[in-house]
Amino acid sequence: MAIPLDLITGALSFLFTLLIFSYVIGDNPLFRIGVYIFVGVSAGYIAAIAFWQVLMPRLVTPLMNGNLFMVVPLLFAVLILMKVSPNLASLARFAMAFIVGVGAAVTIAGAVTGTLIPQVMGTINAFDLNLAAARGIPVMEVIFNGVFILAGTIFSLAYFHFGARPKADGTMQRLSLIELAAWIGRIFIGITLGAVFAGVFSAALTAFIERIHSLIQFIGTFM
Amino acid sequence: MRVITAVIAIAAGFLILGGYFFPMLAPVQTLLLNWAIILAGVATLVGIFNLITVHTDKIRRREKGSAYSALLVIGLVAALLFGMALRPEHEIMRVMLNGIIIPAEAALMGLLTISLLYAAIRLLRRRADLMGIIFLVTAALLLLGSATLPFGNMPVLGTLVRPWTTQVLAIGGARGILIGVALGSLTTGLRVLFGADRPYGGN
Repeated sequence: MAIPLDLITGALSFLFTLLIFSYVIGDNPLFRIGVYIFVGVSAGYIAAIAFWQVLMPRLVTPLMNGNLFMVVPLLFAVLILMKVSPNLASLARFAMAFIVGVGAAVTIAGAVTGTLIPQVMGTINAFDLNLAAARGIPVMEVIFNGVFILAGTIFSLAYFHFGARPKADGTMQRLSLIELAAWIGRIFIGITLGAVFAGVFSAALTAFIERIHSLIQFIGTFM
Repeated sequence: MRVITAVIAIAAGFLILGGYFFPMLAPVQTLLLNWAIILAGVATLVGIFNLITVHTDKIRRREKGSAYSALLVIGLVAALLFGMALRPEHEIMRVMLNGIIIPAEAALMGLLTISLLYAAIRLLRRRADLMGIIFLVTAALLLLGSATLPFGNMPVLGTLVRPWTTQVLAIGGARGILIGVALGSLTTGLRVLFGADRPYGGN
Protein backbone atom coordinates (compact mmCIF):
# COMPACT_ATOMS: atom_id res chain seq x y z
CA MET A 1 0.00 0.00 0.00
CA ALA A 2 1.43 3.38 -1.03
CA ILE A 3 1.93 5.92 1.75
CA PRO A 4 0.02 9.13 0.98
CA LEU A 5 2.27 12.08 0.12
CA ASP A 6 0.37 14.28 2.58
CA LEU A 7 1.39 11.95 5.42
CA ILE A 8 5.05 12.03 4.31
CA THR A 9 4.90 15.84 4.10
CA GLY A 10 3.32 16.04 7.58
CA ALA A 11 5.86 13.62 9.07
CA LEU A 12 8.81 15.50 7.55
CA SER A 13 7.34 18.81 8.71
CA PHE A 14 6.90 17.39 12.24
CA LEU A 15 10.45 16.00 12.28
CA PHE A 16 12.13 19.17 11.01
CA THR A 17 10.15 21.41 13.36
CA LEU A 18 11.28 19.28 16.30
CA LEU A 19 14.90 19.22 15.07
CA ILE A 20 14.99 23.02 14.76
CA PHE A 21 13.14 23.63 18.03
CA SER A 22 15.67 21.43 19.84
CA TYR A 23 17.84 24.59 19.79
CA VAL A 24 15.77 25.80 22.76
CA ILE A 25 17.92 23.51 24.96
CA GLY A 26 21.10 24.88 23.31
CA ASP A 27 23.19 24.16 20.20
CA ASN A 28 23.04 20.37 19.75
CA PRO A 29 23.59 17.70 17.03
CA LEU A 30 19.84 17.39 16.31
CA PHE A 31 19.59 21.11 15.52
CA ARG A 32 22.68 20.92 13.32
CA ILE A 33 21.32 17.90 11.41
CA GLY A 34 18.09 19.81 10.77
CA VAL A 35 19.85 22.99 9.68
CA TYR A 36 22.42 21.31 7.41
CA ILE A 37 19.78 19.23 5.62
CA PHE A 38 17.60 22.35 5.32
CA VAL A 39 20.46 24.33 3.75
CA GLY A 40 21.33 21.48 1.36
CA VAL A 41 17.76 20.85 0.21
CA SER A 42 17.08 24.61 -0.12
CA ALA A 43 20.23 25.10 -2.22
CA GLY A 44 19.29 22.16 -4.49
CA TYR A 45 15.74 23.46 -4.82
CA ILE A 46 16.99 26.98 -5.66
CA ALA A 47 19.34 25.53 -8.30
CA ALA A 48 16.44 23.65 -9.91
CA ILE A 49 14.28 26.80 -9.84
CA ALA A 50 17.14 28.87 -11.32
CA PHE A 51 17.51 26.38 -14.17
CA TRP A 52 13.85 25.67 -15.00
CA GLN A 53 12.34 29.08 -14.32
CA VAL A 54 15.17 31.43 -15.33
CA LEU A 55 17.77 29.83 -17.58
CA MET A 56 15.47 27.52 -19.54
CA PRO A 57 12.79 30.06 -20.59
CA ARG A 58 15.06 33.13 -20.85
CA LEU A 59 18.27 31.65 -22.33
CA VAL A 60 18.05 28.05 -23.57
CA THR A 61 14.66 28.21 -25.34
CA PRO A 62 15.36 31.56 -27.12
CA LEU A 63 18.77 30.24 -28.24
CA MET A 64 17.18 27.07 -29.61
CA ASN A 65 14.69 29.27 -31.46
CA GLY A 66 17.57 31.12 -33.10
CA ASN A 67 17.47 34.36 -31.08
CA LEU A 68 20.96 35.77 -31.67
CA PHE A 69 20.60 38.45 -28.95
CA MET A 70 20.98 35.64 -26.43
CA VAL A 71 24.52 34.83 -27.60
CA VAL A 72 25.84 37.73 -25.46
CA PRO A 73 24.37 36.49 -22.13
CA LEU A 74 25.51 32.98 -23.10
CA LEU A 75 29.05 34.30 -23.51
CA PHE A 76 28.81 36.18 -20.19
CA ALA A 77 27.37 33.03 -18.55
CA VAL A 78 30.37 31.02 -19.77
CA LEU A 79 32.67 33.74 -18.37
CA ILE A 80 30.90 33.59 -14.98
CA LEU A 81 31.34 29.80 -14.97
CA MET A 82 35.10 30.45 -15.25
CA LYS A 83 34.93 31.54 -11.59
CA VAL A 84 34.91 27.83 -10.76
CA SER A 85 38.53 27.57 -11.95
CA PRO A 86 41.10 29.62 -9.95
CA ASN A 87 43.26 30.10 -13.09
CA LEU A 88 40.46 31.45 -15.26
CA ALA A 89 38.47 33.28 -12.55
CA SER A 90 39.72 36.71 -13.71
CA LEU A 91 37.79 36.28 -16.99
CA ALA A 92 34.56 36.48 -14.99
CA ARG A 93 35.28 40.19 -14.41
CA PHE A 94 33.62 41.14 -17.71
CA ALA A 95 30.34 39.50 -16.70
CA MET A 96 30.64 40.83 -13.15
CA ALA A 97 31.19 44.35 -14.53
CA PHE A 98 27.98 44.02 -16.54
CA ILE A 99 26.01 42.81 -13.50
CA VAL A 100 27.45 45.58 -11.30
CA GLY A 101 26.66 48.25 -13.94
CA VAL A 102 23.07 47.06 -14.29
CA GLY A 103 22.76 46.73 -10.50
CA ALA A 104 24.05 50.29 -9.96
CA ALA A 105 21.56 51.72 -12.48
CA VAL A 106 18.66 49.76 -11.00
CA THR A 107 19.72 50.88 -7.50
CA ILE A 108 19.79 54.55 -8.55
CA ALA A 109 16.37 54.30 -10.21
CA GLY A 110 14.96 52.37 -7.25
CA ALA A 111 16.37 54.83 -4.70
CA VAL A 112 14.96 57.86 -6.53
CA THR A 113 11.57 56.57 -7.71
CA GLY A 114 10.98 53.98 -5.00
CA THR A 115 12.22 55.75 -1.86
CA LEU A 116 13.31 59.40 -2.16
CA ILE A 117 10.32 60.79 -4.07
CA PRO A 118 7.61 58.74 -2.25
CA GLN A 119 9.06 59.46 1.20
CA VAL A 120 9.47 63.19 0.55
CA MET A 121 5.95 63.35 -0.95
CA GLY A 122 4.63 61.42 2.04
CA THR A 123 6.15 63.98 4.42
CA ILE A 124 4.68 66.86 2.38
CA ASN A 125 1.27 65.19 2.12
CA ALA A 126 1.16 64.87 5.91
CA PHE A 127 0.18 68.56 5.81
CA ASP A 128 -2.45 68.14 3.07
CA LEU A 129 -5.44 69.88 4.66
CA ASN A 130 -7.77 69.15 1.70
CA LEU A 131 -7.12 65.42 2.02
CA ALA A 132 -7.66 65.66 5.79
CA ALA A 133 -10.96 67.54 5.29
CA ALA A 134 -12.11 64.90 2.80
CA ARG A 135 -11.39 62.21 5.41
CA GLY A 136 -13.05 64.23 8.20
CA ILE A 137 -9.86 64.66 10.27
CA PRO A 138 -9.59 67.93 12.31
CA VAL A 139 -7.11 70.47 10.86
CA MET A 140 -5.23 70.87 14.15
CA GLU A 141 -4.69 67.11 14.41
CA VAL A 142 -3.28 67.01 10.87
CA ILE A 143 -0.86 69.88 11.56
CA PHE A 144 0.15 68.42 14.95
CA ASN A 145 0.89 64.99 13.45
CA GLY A 146 2.54 66.52 10.37
CA VAL A 147 4.92 68.57 12.51
CA PHE A 148 6.01 65.44 14.41
CA ILE A 149 6.52 63.48 11.18
CA LEU A 150 8.53 66.34 9.63
CA ALA A 151 10.57 66.78 12.81
CA GLY A 152 11.23 63.02 12.98
CA THR A 153 12.39 62.96 9.36
CA ILE A 154 14.71 65.98 9.66
CA PHE A 155 16.20 65.08 13.06
CA SER A 156 16.74 61.43 12.08
CA LEU A 157 18.55 62.59 8.95
CA ALA A 158 20.62 64.97 11.09
CA TYR A 159 21.74 61.98 13.18
CA PHE A 160 23.42 60.57 10.06
CA HIS A 161 25.19 63.84 9.27
CA PHE A 162 28.83 63.18 10.07
CA GLY A 163 30.36 66.44 8.81
CA ALA A 164 32.61 67.85 11.58
CA ARG A 165 35.11 70.63 12.16
CA PRO A 166 38.47 70.33 13.95
CA LYS A 167 38.65 71.90 17.41
CA ALA A 168 41.69 73.72 18.83
CA ASP A 169 42.90 70.51 20.52
CA GLY A 170 42.71 68.63 17.20
CA THR A 171 39.60 66.60 17.96
CA MET A 172 36.65 66.70 15.56
CA GLN A 173 33.25 68.01 16.59
CA ARG A 174 29.95 68.58 14.84
CA LEU A 175 28.23 71.98 14.93
CA SER A 176 26.28 72.36 18.17
CA LEU A 177 23.02 72.85 16.22
CA ILE A 178 23.59 69.60 14.33
CA GLU A 179 24.59 67.93 17.60
CA LEU A 180 21.28 68.97 19.20
CA ALA A 181 19.28 67.87 16.14
CA ALA A 182 21.13 64.54 16.13
CA TRP A 183 20.34 64.03 19.83
CA ILE A 184 16.61 64.52 19.16
CA GLY A 185 16.99 62.30 16.08
CA ARG A 186 18.32 59.52 18.30
CA ILE A 187 15.01 59.54 20.19
CA PHE A 188 13.02 59.21 16.95
CA ILE A 189 15.34 56.45 15.70
CA GLY A 190 15.03 54.63 19.05
CA ILE A 191 11.23 54.76 18.77
CA THR A 192 11.35 53.58 15.14
CA LEU A 193 13.67 50.67 15.91
CA GLY A 194 11.49 49.79 18.91
CA ALA A 195 8.47 49.67 16.57
CA VAL A 196 10.40 47.52 14.09
CA PHE A 197 11.48 45.22 16.93
CA ALA A 198 7.87 44.88 18.09
CA GLY A 199 6.79 44.05 14.52
CA VAL A 200 9.50 41.43 14.01
CA PHE A 201 8.82 39.95 17.46
CA SER A 202 5.09 39.69 16.65
CA ALA A 203 5.88 37.98 13.33
CA ALA A 204 8.29 35.55 15.02
CA LEU A 205 5.76 34.81 17.76
CA THR A 206 3.11 34.10 15.11
CA ALA A 207 5.47 31.66 13.37
CA PHE A 208 6.29 30.02 16.72
CA ILE A 209 2.60 29.55 17.58
CA GLU A 210 1.88 28.22 14.06
CA ARG A 211 4.65 25.62 14.38
CA ILE A 212 3.46 24.54 17.85
CA HIS A 213 -0.07 24.27 16.44
CA SER A 214 1.19 22.13 13.52
CA LEU A 215 3.01 19.79 15.97
CA ILE A 216 -0.16 19.35 18.05
CA GLN A 217 -2.27 18.88 14.90
CA PHE A 218 0.09 16.18 13.55
CA ILE A 219 0.02 14.27 16.85
CA GLY A 220 -3.76 14.72 16.90
CA THR A 221 -4.15 12.88 13.56
CA PHE A 222 -2.95 9.64 15.24
CA MET A 223 -5.17 9.96 18.32
CA MET B 1 41.18 44.62 -19.05
CA ARG B 2 40.58 47.43 -16.50
CA VAL B 3 39.32 49.80 -19.19
CA ILE B 4 37.11 47.19 -20.86
CA THR B 5 35.42 46.16 -17.59
CA ALA B 6 34.82 49.83 -16.67
CA VAL B 7 33.37 50.53 -20.15
CA ILE B 8 31.04 47.50 -19.87
CA ALA B 9 29.80 48.56 -16.41
CA ILE B 10 29.35 52.23 -17.31
CA ALA B 11 27.70 51.55 -20.69
CA ALA B 12 25.30 48.97 -19.21
CA GLY B 13 24.42 51.32 -16.35
CA PHE B 14 23.81 54.38 -18.53
CA LEU B 15 21.74 52.40 -21.06
CA ILE B 16 19.54 51.07 -18.24
CA LEU B 17 19.16 54.55 -16.70
CA GLY B 18 18.53 56.03 -20.16
CA GLY B 19 15.56 53.70 -20.55
CA TYR B 20 13.81 55.57 -17.71
CA PHE B 21 14.14 58.92 -19.49
CA PHE B 22 14.08 58.14 -23.23
CA PRO B 23 11.30 55.83 -24.50
CA MET B 24 13.41 54.80 -27.51
CA LEU B 25 15.90 53.18 -25.10
CA ALA B 26 13.19 51.19 -23.29
CA PRO B 27 13.61 48.02 -25.47
CA VAL B 28 17.40 48.13 -24.85
CA GLN B 29 16.73 48.52 -21.12
CA THR B 30 14.39 45.50 -21.14
CA LEU B 31 16.94 43.43 -23.07
CA LEU B 32 19.80 44.32 -20.70
CA LEU B 33 17.65 43.63 -17.63
CA ASN B 34 16.78 40.23 -19.11
CA TRP B 35 20.48 39.49 -19.61
CA ALA B 36 21.17 40.55 -16.01
CA ILE B 37 18.45 38.18 -14.73
CA ILE B 38 20.01 35.32 -16.74
CA LEU B 39 23.45 36.11 -15.34
CA ALA B 40 22.03 36.27 -11.80
CA GLY B 41 20.65 32.75 -12.40
CA VAL B 42 24.05 31.54 -13.60
CA ALA B 43 25.77 33.25 -10.64
CA THR B 44 23.36 31.40 -8.32
CA LEU B 45 24.42 28.07 -9.86
CA VAL B 46 28.10 29.00 -9.46
CA GLY B 47 27.44 29.89 -5.81
CA ILE B 48 25.75 26.53 -5.20
CA PHE B 49 28.63 24.74 -6.93
CA ASN B 50 30.98 26.59 -4.55
CA LEU B 51 28.88 25.40 -1.58
CA ILE B 52 29.25 21.79 -2.79
CA THR B 53 33.01 22.24 -3.28
CA VAL B 54 33.53 23.69 0.21
CA HIS B 55 31.61 20.88 1.91
CA THR B 56 33.07 18.03 -0.18
CA ASP B 57 36.53 19.38 0.73
CA LYS B 58 35.55 19.26 4.41
CA ILE B 59 34.38 15.65 3.98
CA ARG B 60 37.57 14.68 2.12
CA ARG B 61 39.77 16.19 4.85
CA ARG B 62 37.58 14.58 7.55
CA GLU B 63 37.38 17.89 9.37
CA LYS B 64 35.29 18.36 12.49
CA GLY B 65 31.60 18.40 11.54
CA SER B 66 32.17 16.64 8.22
CA ALA B 67 29.21 14.32 8.95
CA TYR B 68 26.94 17.39 8.85
CA SER B 69 28.59 18.45 5.58
CA ALA B 70 27.81 14.98 4.18
CA LEU B 71 24.14 15.47 5.11
CA LEU B 72 24.17 18.86 3.41
CA VAL B 73 25.70 17.46 0.20
CA ILE B 74 23.30 14.48 0.15
CA GLY B 75 20.30 16.80 0.62
CA LEU B 76 21.59 19.20 -2.02
CA VAL B 77 22.36 16.55 -4.63
CA ALA B 78 19.03 14.76 -4.02
CA ALA B 79 17.03 18.00 -4.36
CA LEU B 80 19.07 19.04 -7.40
CA LEU B 81 18.70 15.68 -9.20
CA PHE B 82 14.98 15.41 -8.47
CA GLY B 83 14.48 19.06 -9.38
CA MET B 84 16.34 18.77 -12.69
CA ALA B 85 14.75 15.46 -13.66
CA LEU B 86 11.19 16.07 -12.45
CA ARG B 87 10.97 19.93 -12.50
CA PRO B 88 10.14 22.01 -9.40
CA GLU B 89 6.36 21.62 -9.88
CA HIS B 90 6.50 17.82 -9.36
CA GLU B 91 4.82 16.27 -6.29
CA ILE B 92 8.13 15.02 -4.84
CA MET B 93 9.56 18.53 -5.05
CA ARG B 94 6.42 19.84 -3.33
CA VAL B 95 7.00 17.33 -0.53
CA MET B 96 10.53 18.72 -0.13
CA LEU B 97 9.20 22.29 -0.15
CA ASN B 98 6.25 21.76 2.20
CA GLY B 99 7.89 19.07 4.35
CA ILE B 100 11.41 20.43 4.82
CA ILE B 101 12.02 23.96 3.51
CA ILE B 102 8.89 25.81 4.69
CA PRO B 103 8.61 24.09 8.14
CA ALA B 104 12.33 24.61 8.81
CA GLU B 105 12.11 28.28 7.79
CA ALA B 106 9.01 28.80 9.95
CA ALA B 107 10.63 27.00 12.90
CA LEU B 108 13.78 29.15 12.56
CA MET B 109 11.55 32.22 12.46
CA GLY B 110 9.79 30.90 15.57
CA LEU B 111 13.15 30.46 17.32
CA LEU B 112 13.72 34.15 16.67
CA THR B 113 11.11 34.83 19.39
CA ILE B 114 13.42 33.41 22.02
CA SER B 115 16.54 35.03 20.53
CA LEU B 116 14.87 38.47 20.40
CA LEU B 117 13.58 38.16 23.94
CA TYR B 118 17.04 37.15 25.15
CA ALA B 119 18.64 40.04 23.21
CA ALA B 120 16.17 42.53 24.73
CA ILE B 121 16.96 41.33 28.26
CA ARG B 122 20.70 41.53 27.56
CA LEU B 123 20.30 45.05 26.17
CA LEU B 124 18.51 46.14 29.33
CA ARG B 125 21.25 44.64 31.53
CA ARG B 126 24.26 45.86 29.55
CA ARG B 127 23.18 49.19 28.02
CA ALA B 128 20.48 50.77 30.11
CA ASP B 129 21.00 54.25 28.60
CA LEU B 130 18.39 56.63 27.18
CA MET B 131 18.43 55.06 23.69
CA GLY B 132 18.10 51.51 25.05
CA ILE B 133 15.27 52.47 27.38
CA ILE B 134 13.36 54.36 24.62
CA PHE B 135 13.83 51.35 22.32
CA LEU B 136 12.59 48.78 24.83
CA VAL B 137 9.76 50.92 26.25
CA THR B 138 8.46 51.56 22.70
CA ALA B 139 8.66 47.86 21.84
CA ALA B 140 6.92 46.86 25.10
CA LEU B 141 4.15 49.47 24.69
CA LEU B 142 3.49 48.47 21.08
CA LEU B 143 3.42 44.75 21.93
CA LEU B 144 1.05 45.38 24.84
CA GLY B 145 -1.05 47.68 22.68
CA SER B 146 -1.39 45.10 19.92
CA ALA B 147 -2.19 42.22 22.28
CA THR B 148 -5.78 41.05 22.50
CA LEU B 149 -6.44 40.43 26.17
CA PRO B 150 -9.35 38.41 27.62
CA PHE B 151 -11.28 41.62 28.32
CA GLY B 152 -10.52 43.10 24.88
CA ASN B 153 -7.92 45.64 23.68
CA MET B 154 -5.93 47.74 26.13
CA PRO B 155 -7.99 50.95 26.53
CA VAL B 156 -5.38 53.69 26.04
CA LEU B 157 -2.43 51.68 24.72
CA GLY B 158 -4.36 49.93 21.95
CA THR B 159 -6.51 52.85 20.85
CA LEU B 160 -4.26 55.90 21.30
CA VAL B 161 -0.60 55.20 22.14
CA ARG B 162 0.03 52.40 19.64
CA PRO B 163 -1.58 54.06 16.58
CA TRP B 164 0.07 57.43 17.31
CA THR B 165 3.49 55.89 17.94
CA THR B 166 3.45 53.70 14.81
CA GLN B 167 1.74 56.19 12.46
CA VAL B 168 3.42 59.42 13.56
CA LEU B 169 6.58 59.05 15.68
CA ALA B 170 7.91 55.84 14.11
CA ILE B 171 6.97 57.05 10.61
CA GLY B 172 9.04 60.21 11.12
CA GLY B 173 12.11 58.23 12.25
CA ALA B 174 11.63 55.61 9.53
CA ARG B 175 11.42 58.32 6.85
CA GLY B 176 14.72 59.78 8.03
CA ILE B 177 16.38 56.35 7.97
CA LEU B 178 14.88 55.44 4.56
CA ILE B 179 15.85 58.76 2.97
CA GLY B 180 19.37 58.34 4.42
CA VAL B 181 19.62 54.80 3.00
CA ALA B 182 18.31 55.98 -0.39
CA LEU B 183 20.83 58.85 -0.49
CA GLY B 184 23.61 56.38 0.37
CA SER B 185 22.45 53.95 -2.34
CA LEU B 186 22.23 56.80 -4.85
CA THR B 187 25.77 57.95 -4.07
CA THR B 188 27.16 54.40 -4.27
CA GLY B 189 25.35 53.77 -7.56
CA LEU B 190 26.62 57.03 -9.06
CA ARG B 191 30.19 56.26 -7.94
CA VAL B 192 29.98 52.91 -9.76
CA LEU B 193 28.45 54.51 -12.86
CA PHE B 194 31.18 57.14 -13.04
CA GLY B 195 33.89 54.53 -12.52
CA ALA B 196 35.06 55.91 -9.15
CA ASP B 197 34.26 52.56 -7.50
CA ARG B 198 34.96 49.33 -9.37
CA PRO B 199 33.79 46.44 -7.19
CA TYR B 200 34.12 44.04 -10.15
CA GLY B 201 37.90 44.15 -9.75
CA GLY B 202 38.82 46.82 -12.28
CA ASN B 203 41.09 48.87 -10.03
